[in-house]
Amino acid sequence: MRYRSQSVAYAYFVVALLLYGLQMVFGITSIVKYLGPDPIKAFLPFDVSKEIHTNVLIVWVLTGFMGAAYWLVPEESRTELHSPRLAYWQLGLWTTAGVTAVVGYLFGWTEGNKLLEQPMPVKLAIVVTMLMFLYNIGMTIWKARKLTTTEGVLVAGLALTAVLYLPALLTFDNYTVSIYYRWWTVHLWVEGVWEMVQGGLLAYLLIRLSGADREVMEKWLYVIVGLTFIAGILGTAHHYYWIGVPGYWLVFGGFFSALEPLAFLGMAIYAYMAMRRSGLAHPNRLALHWTIGSAVFSALGAGILGLAHTWPSVNKWTHGTMITAMHGHMAFFGAYVMIVLAMITYAMPGLFGHDQEAGESPAGLWAFWLQIAGMFGMTMAFAAAGIGQTYLERIMGLGYLETQHKIQVHFLMVLGTGLLFTLGVALFLYDFFFLAPRRRTAPAAWPAVPEASR
Amino acid sequence: MTKRQTRAFFLGSTLLFSLIFLALTVDGHRQFPKLTHSDQITPEVIAGKHVWHRKNCINCHTLMGEGAYYAPDLTKIADQRGAPYLRAFLADPAKFYNEERDRRLMPNLHLTPQEIDEVVAFLAWVGKIDTQGWPPRPILVSGSTIPGSNVGGAAPQPASDDPVAIGQALFGQAPPGCFACHSTAPGVNLVGPSLAGIATTAAARIKEDDYKGKATDVEGYIQESILSPNAYVVEGSTFSSNGQSMMPGGFGESLEPAQVTSLVAYLMTLK
Repeated sequence: MRYRSQSVAYAYFVVALLLYGLQMVFGITSIVKYLGPDPIKAFLPFDVSKEIHTNVLIVWVLTGFMGAAYWLVPEESRTELHSPRLAYWQLGLWTTAGVTAVVGYLFGWTEGNKLLEQPMPVKLAIVVTMLMFLYNIGMTIWKARKLTTTEGVLVAGLALTAVLYLPALLTFDNYTVSIYYRWWTVHLWVEGVWEMVQGGLLAYLLIRLSGADREVMEKWLYVIVGLTFIAGILGTAHHYYWIGVPGYWLVFGGFFSALEPLAFLGMAIYAYMAMRRSGLAHPNRLALHWTIGSAVFSALGAGILGLAHTWPSVNKWTHGTMITAMHGHMAFFGAYVMIVLAMITYAMPGLFGHDQEAGESPAGLWAFWLQIAGMFGMTMAFAAAGIGQTYLERIMGLGYLETQHKIQVHFLMVLGTGLLFTLGVALFLYDFFFLAPRRRTAPAAWPAVPEASR
Repeated sequence: MTKRQTRAFFLGSTLLFSLIFLALTVDGHRQFPKLTHSDQITPEVIAGKHVWHRKNCINCHTLMGEGAYYAPDLTKIADQRGAPYLRAFLADPAKFYNEERDRRLMPNLHLTPQEIDEVVAFLAWVGKIDTQGWPPRPILVSGSTIPGSNVGGAAPQPASDDPVAIGQALFGQAPPGCFACHSTAPGVNLVGPSLAGIATTAAARIKEDDYKGKATDVEGYIQESILSPNAYVVEGSTFSSNGQSMMPGGFGESLEPAQVTSLVAYLMTLK
């Protein structure tokens, strides 16, 4: 840790990881309900457990992004944070809004709009915290008069995240129009500006971990985010196919969705080339695992598995089946969960005052591999369920309920691999909250970063 | 390539594609009224949309394929089931489905009769949206469009002692095996004609000049069709030939009168 105020990130990571644990509870609850019958549906029905599962994910990933930004921006701009106190107040308001939403959902207080269920007062609180965040980061950079491309891309991604949340505040009487704008938030977040965040964090980690040349890395970062928007903006079309919009969106969706894997593949190649060029010598091997893992898993989950069902003539049959769950789980995990965990593991020695040479912890490595194995298994199980559902229900014309009954074994597989995944998450939390703080080693000097990459 | 050039590539392409997207959005707003029949968005439909959101329906069901995958898609449900069935179902889902049998059961949302009417109106409007031909074939809640495709499944048991539920289960059992020739999906004709909307069809048919049967109301017509298929013959190469229905007779003997009443009660819900 080079600047004292970077320790603000610790508080953000604590909140993020606690919510990650909570997300698992509601994920497991939801898949158990798929097996049925559901004895607790009177007070915790599926719609609530699923809504909390997805909302907590969004909240904790954003918390992780903001914590990562508070860690990264002082280092990049070479200054203390403008106001650590404001950052703590912001986290307090943000956490209150998030917890209020979750408790509200348990009592049926919801706007019932997929992924944007937050009731209006919570939405407004979210807007306020985003403005506090952007102000704090903006002032830090302004006062330092130093803005690197890496942090510029990251901060622009987070600023655009705030801007694109604004359509979520609008309501329309026409359901088609309200879905049309809902995707401006949801799609342009996850297949647009969040990729800028991922790209920025990836560039930072690769520069720090491999010592790759900053000029080269930042040059290619622009290419990657450029590809993201070329494909991603009109790629929104693949959510528009069947919702009552003009037919030309089918053509746009097919073409631009086919381009969407390019940015993710670009990121995987980017990481690979950085490692090839500059080696894997950094002592924080755990952070290396998560960083490379994110590049690979997002290429697979978001890139390839997304492409697997965005072509209109395929999507016509798979739309609204478990195929979407297959893609969604691995994409979110690869692109956003893993990059946040990479930042957390990278920052951990600094936050806990550890010797950088201490290397990785066995618990941390187990946490990595259990999550990888669990997520891979869940994706395969969702895929099998989705393929079965598509053929039986959509092509053969078997009823929904009968189909769900026939593919139960795959839900059992999701549960099994989901428990494996949860074990990995639990180990990560155990390492972060119990093992790492007690691993007291003498703080050594921060490893030298080659002059060229500064 | 220099960093300055790649930055220009990023900014230029993002700006260009954002502008195209905005232009398409303007064109979308020009076409939405026609594609979505926005003139039919009545205050009742809007109120129904609020019920849909307030009750968090989207986090179990899908609408136009969007939502959660824990419960069936409802895009065309108003066409498939008809308003009377949906009203009865929403008042008490447990009358129609059994959690032990189906593994899932919609919780009773305790909607007021007015809320039920509103959400049914909303779903009826959604069914009219031009979805570019989606779904390519009907998505059924239960049952099958193809006889025999549910092989290995146990014969359906009624979810409650409601006559409609008994009739629905009986429809899927063999004997009598109604499902082997009739689907309940619109437009899916098997050997026999689809029974989707049979109650509505029947109401119109008994008023037609070429109807020579004895029935004077819809229930009477459906009962007559089961017991004496030749009273009115539907044209169709696999339905009838030379004025004789191909539907087997003898259901009057093989079915109990109460069973016939239940079947009629069930088919009456297909409007």
